[in-house]
Amino acid sequence: MERAREPLLDAKSGVTNQLIDFQWKLGMAVSSDSCRSLKYPYVAVMLKIADPSGQVKNKSFEMTIPQFQNFYRQFKEIAAVIETV
Amino acid sequence: MLLDLSEEHREHLAFLPQVDSAVVAEFGRIAVEFLRRGSNPKIYEGAARKLNVSSDTVQHGVEGLTYLLTESSKLMISELDFQDSVFVLGFSEELNKLLLQLYLDNRREIRTILSELAPDLPSYHSLEWRLDVQLASRSLRQQIKPAVTIKLHLNQNGDHNTKVLQTDPATLLHLVQQLEQALEEMKTNHCRRVVRNIK
Repeated sequence: MERAREPLLDAKSGVTNQLIDFQWKLGMAVSSDSCRSLKYPYVAVMLKIADPSGQVKNKSFEMTIPQFQNFYRQFKEIAAVIETV
Repeated sequence: MLLDLSEEHREHLAFLPQVDSAVVAEFGRIAVEFLRRGSNPKIYEGAARKLNVSSDTVQHGVEGLTYLLTESSKLMISELDFQDSVFVLGFSEELNKLLLQLYLDNRREIRTILSELAPDLPSYHSLEWRLDVQLASRSLRQQIKPAVTIKLHLNQNGDHNTKVLQTDPATLLHLVQQLEQALEEMKTNHCRRVVRNIK
C-alpha cells in the first residue's frame, strides 16, 4: 500500500507569502483639497506579509463601504465552503 | 583653458574642410537640432548621397562638430581659447571663423540642454490631501481621532511617482513650521552673502 505523501504546496511550506497581521480601521473623510465638505466613510486595511525569504512588507489599501461589504461577503462564502470540507 | 582634441576626434573633424562653408553651417544646424531632439540617422544618409561620401563620414563629421560644441559650451571657454583650440586643426581662416560663430551663437542654448542632464532627485509635482476622522480600529472602538492623509506626486527623470503619507494635525503643524523656518533661512545675512558671491 502506498503511503500518502505530504503535499508539496501548503500554507506553511515556505513557497507562498505568509499573512502575519491584519489591522483595520474605520474612518470618515471630512474634507479634501478637491472637496471641502465630505462625509465619506471608508475602511482602511493594513496587512503585514512575509515573503518566503522572511522579509516583511506592509501593504495597505482602502475600501468604500460597498467595496467592504463585497469583501466581507467573499470571506463569508469562504467560511461557508470550509464548513463543508 | 584649451580643448584637448583626441586623434580620433581630429580625424572626424578633418572632413569639414573638404566641404563648403554652407555645408559646415548646415552640419552645425543639424548638430544643435540633434542636441535638442535626439539624432536622426536618416539625415546622414541623405547628406552622404548629396556629398558623394559614405554616411559614416557624414556621421563622424556631425558628431565631431557636436562634441566640439558641447565640450566648449560645457567648459564655457573664452573666444580666444576656442580659437586657439581649433587653430591646431589647421583649418582655413574662414572655417575657423564659422566654427567660432557656431560656438558663440549656440553655447547658451547648449548649456541649458546640458544642465538638464544632471542626476535628478525626485521632485515635487503636486499634492492631494484629505482630512479624515478615525472612528474605530481593531484595537479601539468609539474613537474620534483626526488625521491628515497626503498623496504626494513626485517627478523623477520624467517618471511619475506617488507616495501616500498620513499624520496627525499637530505633526502637520510642526512640519509646516519647519518648512517655513527653512524658507526664513534664505533671508539671513549668511545665505544672502553666499548667494551674492556665487552670482
